[in-house]
Amino acid sequence: MSARPLRVVGHPVPRVDAIEKVTGRARYVTDLTLPGMAHAKVLRSPYAHARVRRVDVTRARARPGVFAALAGADLTWCDPYYGPAYRDRPVLAIGVARYEGEPVAAVAAVDEATAEEALELIDVDYEPLAPVMTLEEALAEDAPLVHAGQPPAGHFADLSTLRPRPGTNICHQFQFARGDAAAALGGADVVVEDAYRFPPVQHVALEPHAAVAAWDETGALTLWASTQNPYSVRVELAKMFDVPLARIRVVVPHLGGGFGSKTYAKLEPLAATLARAAARPVRLAASVPEAFQTVRRCASRVAVRAGFRRDGTLVAVACDADYDVGAYADIGPRVVQKGTYTATGPYRVPHVRLEARAVYTNTTPGGAFRGFGVPQLAWALESLFDVAADRLDRDPVDLRRQNFLAHGEEFAPGDTPIDGKLEESLSRAAEAIGWTRAPAADRGRGVAAMLKASVAPSVSEAIVRLHADGSVTVLASAVEMGQGTRTVLTQIAAEVLSVPLARVTVVQPDTAVTPYDQTTSSSRSTAMTGRAVQVAAEDVRDQLLAIAAQNLGVAARELALADGALVAPARRLTYPEALALKFGMSGGELIGRGVIAPGRTAAPLGGSTPFWEMAVGAAEVSVDEETGAVRVERYVSVADVGRAINPLLLEGQDEGGVVQGLGHTLLEEMLYADGHLLNGTLLVYRVPRADDTPSELECHFVENADGSGPFGAKGAGEGSLIPVSPAVANALARLTGVRLRDLPLTPERVWRALRARSPRA
Amino acid sequence: MLRPFTLHRPETAEEACALLAGLGEEAAAYAGGTELLLMMKLGLLRPRHLVDVKRIRGFGDIGLEPLSGRRLTIGAAVTHRAVEQSALVRARCPLVSSVARHVANVRVRNVGTVGGNLAFADPHSDLATLFLTLDASVELLSPRGRRELPLDDFVRGPWETSRASDELLGSVTLTPWASDTAAAYVKFGVHERPTLAVAAALRLDGTTGAGRNGRDRIVEARVAVGCVSLKPVRMAAAEARLTDLSIGDLDDAARAAADAAAAGVDPADDLYGSADYKREMVAVFVGRALRIAAARARGAESAARFPHTVVA
Amino acid sequence: MTIRLVVNGRPRDLEVAPHALLLDVLRDTLDLKGAKRSCDTQVCGACTVLVDGLAVSACTYLAVEADGRSVLTVEGLADGESLHPLQRAFVEAGAVQCGFCTSGMLLTAKAMLAENRTPTRDDVLHYLRGSLCRCTGYRKIVDAVLAAAETAR
Repeated sequence: MSARPLRVVGHPVPRVDAIEKVTGRARYVTDLTLPGMAHAKVLRSPYAHARVRRVDVTRARARPGVFAALAGADLTWCDPYYGPAYRDRPVLAIGVARYEGEPVAAVAAVDEATAEEALELIDVDYEPLAPVMTLEEALAEDAPLVHAGQPPAGHFADLSTLRPRPGTNICHQFQFARGDAAAALGGADVVVEDAYRFPPVQHVALEPHAAVAAWDETGALTLWASTQNPYSVRVELAKMFDVPLARIRVVVPHLGGGFGSKTYAKLEPLAATLARAAARPVRLAASVPEAFQTVRRCASRVAVRAGFRRDGTLVAVACDADYDVGAYADIGPRVVQKGTYTATGPYRVPHVRLEARAVYTNTTPGGAFRGFGVPQLAWALESLFDVAADRLDRDPVDLRRQNFLAHGEEFAPGDTPIDGKLEESLSRAAEAIGWTRAPAADRGRGVAAMLKASVAPSVSEAIVRLHADGSVTVLASAVEMGQGTRTVLTQIAAEVLSVPLARVTVVQPDTAVTPYDQTTSSSRSTAMTGRAVQVAAEDVRDQLLAIAAQNLGVAARELALADGALVAPARRLTYPEALALKFGMSGGELIGRGVIAPGRTAAPLGGSTPFWEMAVGAAEVSVDEETGAVRVERYVSVADVGRAINPLLLEGQDEGGVVQGLGHTLLEEMLYADGHLLNGTLLVYRVPRADDTPSELECHFVENADGSGPFGAKGAGEGSLIPVSPAVANALARLTGVRLRDLPLTPERVWRALRARSPRA
Repeated sequence: MLRPFTLHRPETAEEACALLAGLGEEAAAYAGGTELLLMMKLGLLRPRHLVDVKRIRGFGDIGLEPLSGRRLTIGAAVTHRAVEQSALVRARCPLVSSVARHVANVRVRNVGTVGGNLAFADPHSDLATLFLTLDASVELLSPRGRRELPLDDFVRGPWETSRASDELLGSVTLTPWASDTAAAYVKFGVHERPTLAVAAALRLDGTTGAGRNGRDRIVEARVAVGCVSLKPVRMAAAEARLTDLSIGDLDDAARAAADAAAAGVDPADDLYGSADYKREMVAVFVGRALRIAAARARGAESAARFPHTVVA
Repeated sequence: MTIRLVVNGRPRDLEVAPHALLLDVLRDTLDLKGAKRSCDTQVCGACTVLVDGLAVSACTYLAVEADGRSVLTVEGLADGESLHPLQRAFVEAGAVQCGFCTSGMLLTAKAMLAENRTPTRDDVLHYLRGSLCRCTGYRKIVDAVLAAAETAR
């Protein structure tokens, strides 16, 4: 089954859900109504840090039309704490509010207006406490503690060794070392070092978080949730309510964008709690400002030292990274350790010392966001790499090329060897941007490269059902959030079973129906869930071959699958015919199963990455020196994807990743003052608009079929975003001589830096 | 969602004023609702009564003021889109037509009104800045009668006007510039509302021809800067520096005028920029607006395009 | 208050409160879920519908204002099962990802094409300045609109 050209895989087929989305028929969580459904509203803390002395919901509860009014103290009948790393986050604040916007009380009522009015009937006594709003404040000696005690650990194996520093706001520490970095730096010919800051930013998925929860008369719970990992939500709820996993069902219709904001439980526990108290289904929908108060990217301060030999060989990297994970850890500890793990980027470095800390602050919890810690590290290392190139009088592209890890080379002992050709991505990017041709006088160019591991160990399972009429259902729990996974899974199944795309249906994720998938994140759905679907489809294929072989008296190896039929020289058996032969009637189905579970390994993070995500970005910028406004005129992204299952959707992903990267590079920053978030609305939080897109934007793909995913595929979607900020800053530095270290590169910041360089005449 | 309210739809200004007078603080005038309804959704305003002004005779009109036959009157309920599309506005005050095209976004322009914009006195209002260069006056109606106020007296500060609670803004009247006037409107900023806006109008002495020979004299200059002080301001010092200059000398002199303007604003640190940055940007953009106007005086259109900048 | 309007070509008589927002009436009373609530502040465009051919933010527009008018939502774009050229262009160009911004983009583009049959890229950018997308990076959306304009000519 190899040399034959692929029928649908590798082709830019339109996405399978396109029609429903352009006609408005696609259903998202907030489009759902259940009979008797109540509407929830949340009362949130106005303080970044406060003792919650008393919450009185009596008047709210008594208001006609209110079905439930809850405060933290009411949650005696469940475990009110959840969280994937630490179970540190209460459904409703208990005794203390740890960030501005933390849910303190909630109401479920007959309609939204009643619920809102009921919130005003809730009395809360706060005793404001001193907050820690920044890394510096949180790490200071005798800083107020965001969490007084040690919360219990959550449910992830790779974080079973959570390492907090008791008595401080440090909730996790990660260290990695190889060789003797201190000595190597001491002996290096050229040492460069600097510190870089990455701001807190919000995902701003157009659809804010939402959930509809309903308990049935048997005590089983169903949730329709805007989540990227229904199985993670399920296990949280099971623990909270002490209900078996089998009696919790999480269903995910279309997701209006995720980018990591909808990984791990967010609003679901509260929706479920209210539904139980109200004894009816409850719909809880966040607003955009509430999304800003639910999750954000972990901000960071990263200090890097890199030592080079005179000939440009990178010999040592020492990195100290502090990540602000906000008031609750969410998946922050893994962001920190996973991001820091590839702090050395795509380079060969014999001597390494990496230290990172996840730090609590009294701000919106930091969690997963496209890139998962790597943008923060790449911002630092890739900027510093250009500083080094300058000091070594070397071309930045050349210097990177010289130090790249080679295809097949080890990244770390026990982990998967490098499975791509970084040099190829770099060359294509350099060529596309015209690196060797001088830019126009008012333009500057810069490059950056990245390397990222995917979450490991992880599990994806899938089921493929071949029905009596030859149509196919794919059951898999990868969530469609715009990236196109439903389409890719359709293509994979259709390819293996040689049926038309229109004959394959991928159902929505539903933990009662679609088997376990760990998460839709980490660029893993094509490689892992896709592989599970491929294996499941191959299982069905093998069953078909066995049926045909037996009934046609032909060896299986002489059979081929083509157009919904098994074909041998001079014989042809359609799938319906094959099933009829097997079952002796027109009915029955073939079921195939795929389980992708590489398991734990000796790799430093507990599992070997299923693939390495690697990409290069090249930017050409101009700057309006009088205002400091930077414009990215041209941008090239090259991602090494192994095989583009759907080039059209992949290109769309990467174009989106680049522009989202321009957001934190030039425009986005959550700003706090006096404990308050100043810009949690789109009126003053600026995300990229259509006219921010570079006039020339190219996304290229290196396809050497060298991945472990289906048809040689690897993962993609984060690689396009990660290099953006250092590529742009490097371009700006080459154009103006000015090096900025704090994102975003707003006009004012750039203007100030330019003034510091040369006073206005 | 919104709290319940009673919607009144008077057909005459008298009716509307009587309602506002009678209901007092419980009522708000309502036209397009792009500002009012947003404030209500955010819970910042909770009027129990909305007095819809869109049916009031005359409020939707654009016309020449009968008295002078020259001044242009725009009814309070005229939408930004209607201003943009009006042949009369384009003929008499073409820059007003161009600026209307760039207020907020297309949806706000379709529904939002000139009256609502001025009455709300958002400190970032494009119209409030531009109209300062057009001798704008607003008409205020009340049970006591009618009064006309210069725009600069009407707008007192951020979201603050001289309108009494029982007064209704009925219209705004502009004095079109003389035909030999070269003008430009430039706004700069990253957010939904701009960091600063500059309106510059240069009335030229047309006796030596239509500006192409470079010897035209600037008879009168008007420069207004918005968003950076408590309200839009005319930059008298800058205007003085430009008067009697030849258009040909403007590119050199623009810097001095721009600096004078920068000295004349009173910015504060906020989400739109630090005070010193805003001050410097005033200088930059007054200079740019003047150079664009100068090019237009010469019959040319400057090709310069600046990031995060709208040029009308 | 009783309002009489035409929604997607169909006359409707509705009883609405003065404070009801058009977005909620369309979504909850008429079950037209295509328009979405996102920013709720007129910035993002996800709630865009056309009233007498003009794009409005339904999240900040009183339902009573639609009295006597014609409202077009995304559900009214296609002609039965036959897609509108804009819809077809979005599908072919790959201009749809999560889909939450899509109905707003389509309707805004339709309003633009009604006014300007030969838009330049800058014209499209001007019109779409108030329509946000977080998934696509806009490139394919703008391409799709220009392609649809081309097809329509």
